[in-house]
Amino acid sequence: MWLAVSPGLLAQFTLAGLMMGVLYALMALGITFIYGVMKTINWAMGEFYMIGSFVQYLIVSHLLGPDLWWLALPATAASVFVLGMLVQRLLLRPMFVGGVERRDEYATVITIALLLLLRSLAAVINGPYQHTPGSHLPDVTLGPLSVPGAEVAAAVVGVLVLGLFFLLLHRTWPGLALRAAAQNRIGVQTAGVDLLRLDMVAFGIGVSLAAVAGGLLAPVYLVYPTNGAVATTKGFEIIVIGGLGSIWGALVGGLLLGLAEALGSALIAPAYQNAYGFLLLILLLLIRPIGLFGERARVV
Amino acid sequence: MQVHRLVWAAMALLVVTATACGQNRLQSSSTTQPITVGLITPLSPPGDVASGQLIQRGAELGVEYVNSQLHGVLGGRKLQLAVEDSAGKNDQGVNDYRLLVTEKKAVAVTGFFHSSVNIAVNEVAHQIGVPTISTQGSAADITAKHYPETFRTHVIDPIRVSAWLQWIQERGFKRVAMVAETTDYGVGLVDETQRQARAKGLDIAFDAEMFDHSATDLTPQLLKVKAFDPDLLINIGVGTPMDLIVDQAREVGLYPQVPMLVSYDGPVRPQWWQLHPQDGNGVYFIAYYSPREPLSNAGQWLARRYQERYHEPPVYSSLSAFGDVLVIAEAIQRANSADPRKITAALASGSFSSWTKATVSFPNAPGAYYHTWSPPVLILHYTQPNQDWQHAELIETYSRKT
Repeated sequence: MWLAVSPGLLAQFTLAGLMMGVLYALMALGITFIYGVMKTINWAMGEFYMIGSFVQYLIVSHLLGPDLWWLALPATAASVFVLGMLVQRLLLRPMFVGGVERRDEYATVITIALLLLLRSLAAVINGPYQHTPGSHLPDVTLGPLSVPGAEVAAAVVGVLVLGLFFLLLHRTWPGLALRAAAQNRIGVQTAGVDLLRLDMVAFGIGVSLAAVAGGLLAPVYLVYPTNGAVATTKGFEIIVIGGLGSIWGALVGGLLLGLAEALGSALIAPAYQNAYGFLLLILLLLIRPIGLFGERARVV
Repeated sequence: MQVHRLVWAAMALLVVTATACGQNRLQSSSTTQPITVGLITPLSPPGDVASGQLIQRGAELGVEYVNSQLHGVLGGRKLQLAVEDSAGKNDQGVNDYRLLVTEKKAVAVTGFFHSSVNIAVNEVAHQIGVPTISTQGSAADITAKHYPETFRTHVIDPIRVSAWLQWIQERGFKRVAMVAETTDYGVGLVDETQRQARAKGLDIAFDAEMFDHSATDLTPQLLKVKAFDPDLLINIGVGTPMDLIVDQAREVGLYPQVPMLVSYDGPVRPQWWQLHPQDGNGVYFIAYYSPREPLSNAGQWLARRYQERYHEPPVYSSLSAFGDVLVIAEAIQRANSADPRKITAALASGSFSSWTKATVSFPNAPGAYYHTWSPPVLILHYTQPNQDWQHAELIETYSRKT
């Protein structure tokens, strides 16, 4: 079975893995970014991916049409950004102002409850249906390989969104404040930054990254109430591989996971596609338990 | 002394009268209160929620039909439905069953979709004795253990496989690829196909690529299939994976160049053409009902009522669940009792009306055929875009050969 694939097929697997890796990275980036700033994990991340895919579907199919899908994407990101800020304000902010002792446990319980609520609500509202916004993008030929247009577009826009995110983080004042909050929350507060508002913005940005991934993949992987479940699993795999809280870790981890799944499928068997990521994760935990770009805790 | 005796006698009379009144009231309430039918079906993830909702719709309309058109059972007692969500999980399904039969006093339980849940529940049903009817579980073990309390009104793997192997022979396909999920359903169908092909000595090369039901990227499997160069692709995904295989097979250049057979009636769902506006055309699929088959009077009532309520025609999941409720109601009537053991005996010995004109019965047959009634297996074919599934080309009808 090993290496019983032609070079052309292997190249096709590798390309598919890299493109998938970009979108995995987008998903993981949202989780790791929220953790970096707020020091809490959002377990309902996949549900924001799901909401993003539904918003994209509704805008494209009822308003703009498949040719203007790219115009729907900012609207998807903006609406989920606002929703994320509301969720943070109503459900997560109390743990920062109410003197909650065990914030991690509180955030875990709240976001898992949110996950169940959003998923069940979507199942009730949507009924027994799946949807697709459709795509008119033609297949793209890369050398000997033919790649679906919607997947290429998703990967290219994914890279652009990642670039925009890095620009925001490194070239703007809010980006500076967010990076500072990720380094030292108390220090940022003493410098006069409204940390509670910053948390809202960070949560909004994080979930809108997931929504963008959902919107981009809507024509490829369909729109239905549970489509965020896989995205959540992959996202958490990546942040463990890359290192919790590390932006570069999310990026590299996403690409590595995409490649591991693709090459494992090509060289061994596609039936265990999900297992290859976990194998990579276990291997990394044995060699470097803090992840590729994770930092060791400094305790005084 | 006599006064004392009189007081004691009066008190005794009072107690006896009160007890008798109480018993009368109990008897009276037990002969008028509704009879509960349990429904265990997937209504939340990771179960197939879409199928669960369609099954629930059919069962609710079944209860409505019994109460409004047949005026209830046992001389006017209403039927009521108690719905529990299995989420496609075995442990949850078992808890649902216990809750339904102990707390809600269900006299029979139906609605099962996931075979594994059905198999797990049947173990408990065998101890407790309240019968189950599988609405859409096709794994052999649901009835192959020959538990007297277990019944099924759905196609089992050997029948489905026999139908498609016959079609494959008729069409002369020689290289057949199967993309199947790693569930009881997927693994069972792959194994059964290869077993029957060997037993029949068919000269067909098979390739089976498996995937996890939760997977969304099936490109690796499909690229491997493409390298196998098949002349037929059998799509053995259920729900979303089935749709993903259709789209992604087109994207890798496999379909429609290679014809595709979908292993169940997923393409009759209303959103098929919305999901596959171009590549939906040309697909072959297994179905268990075609509008060209006559419906029973009850089935026609369901079709009208369903259309009124949901603004679309009923599909097999709803028809089958509707039929199961009717079968249970008729069994209660035949047993002349709401006692689950008597209902079980009535189910095992009688024949029943359902959504189809064919008569439903549960024979004491060997293997997985035990207590199983199977609708015929049809192969339908979409021949033009946006074709109403009711007008899809009927390629062949395969009835069970006993």
